[in-house]
Amino acid sequence: MSPYIEVEGLKVSYDGEHLALDGVDMDVTENELVAVLGPSGCGKSTMLQVLSGLLRPIAGTARIDGKDMTRSSSDRPRVGYVFQDHRLLPWRTVAGNLELVLEAAGIPKAEWDVRIDRYLDILQIGQFRDAWPMRLSGGQRQRVSIARALAIDPAVVLMDEPFSTLDEVTARTMRQQLVELWQESSRTIVFVTHSIREAIFLADRVVILTKGPARLLEDVEVPIGRPRRYEDADITELESQIVDRVMGVWGYEEPAAA
Amino acid sequence: MASSQTASTAGPLLQPGRRWWSGDGSGSDRLLSALGLLSFVALWWFGSLTSDFVPPIGEVLDAVPSFLTEEDIYADIADSLTRVVVSLAVAVFVGFWAAYLMARRGFWGLVVARYVDLAIGLPSTIAALLALFIFKRSEIGVFVVVVIACFPFVAITLRQGFLSLDRRLSEMSGVYRFGGISQIRNVTIPHLVPFTLASIRNEYAHAWRVVVIAELFAVNSGIGWRFTQAYDRFLLVDVALWLLVFIVLLLGTEYMILRPLERWVLRWRGGAQ
Amino acid sequence: MNAASTPAAGFDIDVGPVRKALAFLAAIVLGVIAWQIATWISDGWIPGIGEIIDATRDSLLAADTWEQIWITSKRILIAFVVSTAIGVAIGFASGLNRKAEAFFRPLIVIALATPDPLYVIIAILVLGTEESSGVIALTLALIPFVVTIVHGSVKARESQLDEMSAVYRLSRRRYLGQVLARQVTPALFAAARTSFAFAWKIVVLVEAISQPRGIGSEIYEQFRLLNAAEMIALALIFIVLMRLVDAIVFGGLERRLLAWAR
Repeated sequence: MSPYIEVEGLKVSYDGEHLALDGVDMDVTENELVAVLGPSGCGKSTMLQVLSGLLRPIAGTARIDGKDMTRSSSDRPRVGYVFQDHRLLPWRTVAGNLELVLEAAGIPKAEWDVRIDRYLDILQIGQFRDAWPMRLSGGQRQRVSIARALAIDPAVVLMDEPFSTLDEVTARTMRQQLVELWQESSRTIVFVTHSIREAIFLADRVVILTKGPARLLEDVEVPIGRPRRYEDADITELESQIVDRVMGVWGYEEPAAA
Repeated sequence: MASSQTASTAGPLLQPGRRWWSGDGSGSDRLLSALGLLSFVALWWFGSLTSDFVPPIGEVLDAVPSFLTEEDIYADIADSLTRVVVSLAVAVFVGFWAAYLMARRGFWGLVVARYVDLAIGLPSTIAALLALFIFKRSEIGVFVVVVIACFPFVAITLRQGFLSLDRRLSEMSGVYRFGGISQIRNVTIPHLVPFTLASIRNEYAHAWRVVVIAELFAVNSGIGWRFTQAYDRFLLVDVALWLLVFIVLLLGTEYMILRPLERWVLRWRGGAQ
Repeated sequence: MNAASTPAAGFDIDVGPVRKALAFLAAIVLGVIAWQIATWISDGWIPGIGEIIDATRDSLLAADTWEQIWITSKRILIAFVVSTAIGVAIGFASGLNRKAEAFFRPLIVIALATPDPLYVIIAILVLGTEESSGVIALTLALIPFVVTIVHGSVKARESQLDEMSAVYRLSRRRYLGQVLARQVTPALFAAARTSFAFAWKIVVLVEAISQPRGIGSEIYEQFRLLNAAEMIALALIFIVLMRLVDAIVFGGLERRLLAWAR
């Protein structure tokens, strides 16, 4: 079965001189939840930007469901994107924000209300339907952002460190909810993070990148059964294994053993 | 956060499907700028065709060499330039103290704020006529008019500087204890320098415009006066020549003196911002 | 600089209205005193406050004054509307499109470097001393300011919402109207307000030079007749009126616009 998301030899540069990505490969099967792990500034967000059509690479391919995402054609699959900052329009209500992307995605107007209610409810923010985004808390806004991503029935959901600005308690709740959401609705999710533990908790597989210009360092299966608890010993162990493997590569020196 | 580096600024690689933010840069830009300049020339040429009164470009350009060799034009240029520089300096000085008082939020600061408000709302033409009336044809009139026109903007900008300085000082004074003079040298002045430079840059062009208006009415020397002379006597080529002189002078001093100076000062101060 | 006691931003909001009123009074009193001193020094050449008050009252009662104001106001209105419209269009175009920006830049730079009287002179040379040349000159003089403000704000917009719009493939119409326009609304408002502010100031120059009817030409006329008190009176009436309009119209609009304040 060919991979649902296929990234091959991706090279991306912002300024034409320095490479952000230097030949990255990644495959994601349908309904997988894959985490992309890398140190800060290594360009892991860049891959998401290419997959969503925001950015064009200098070389390599990026396909979703067989379609080339780097060309702007109208039969490209829909992509839901959750940014690190919520990126809601503060002058539109929560429902208004969702309506905007529903319209752009070509969803018929008759379905809008149903979808809005459904996804807001799933994320437990149904009561904020007509609220102004800036009156909500950070966690609530990110939920709206996620609801917006889901409401258009995207082929894949791309998430760029969506919980990194939230406090730990809220973030934990959101991670839990995300996993439940994913299990219920069977979506393909690519989740970028710099937290090893978060990656392991959430994902089936963790794709680890090197420092920029980034290449694939490792592709690690997470064999831990679900449901997982954030404090699981299994997770801790896998985490320290990964830490050992990446420390040198990501550029942190261990102090010499005393 | 990494994502804010994207789309809008970089080269041809970053073309999202729709091109409604800044497209590619480089060579074509220069061409288009040249085109823009040409359209100005074209407008002029068109104007000279449709109206008997607009002098054709050729005529004006031909007159340039002999114009530049006339000695007395330099006296007027020097006059205007002096007025701009001196008035601006005075305006900065007055604006500085006005800003200081306003930032302290004392009673006199509020009074000063009313005068700043008044000065902003005073059309330069009216000020020029008043100055002409009061000072007769003395040069003082020009200085007064320009200072009144420019100092309020300086005051507003520097007030921001003082207010933000307050915040910094109160944040720092708890941690590091700077003494008086040291504080002024190491904190106050570097903090205020960018604000001062910004207000000078903004008000420089403004001062030139007001000087011309003031000279139009209130004195018998300077570029503004030359404009009236030429216009009254229907010497339209002269009008065009003086316009060129003005534009070249203003843009020339701005880009070749003012901006490099600003950059130099800011570099020396370690880019205090 | 009372580092410890002054609160952060907030301008004059935290100063009591009583204090402000007192300061206003003090400013007026001081001004009057200074003016009277000047009158005294100049031996009556500079008209005294009494004279000015009389002249103001007379002008306020004269029908002709209001006719002149009406004429001038029409010019201001036309110039304001047209220059804002054109300026916003050019500002948006050059803010969004590098090519447009490159094309317009030299024009705007030259326009900003052209002294105001030149606009009037050129308009008269091309169009003759018709009624319309003054208004056209005024409009042209205002456009570069509007362009500069709008262009600056469009360029300074944050890329975040642009990216969101791109990812979710918002149509161009939706993007411009729903995302961009709202983002730059404060700047659009500032541009309009600035355009109006310059309009009523520059119109005085335009009318003084090209002298068809209007408050500016009337002021200039009084000046030529050496009727200083009348000149000052007219100027006062005009300035106060214009500032009232600004405070009521734009002040009111500003409050409305801030209604959806974050």
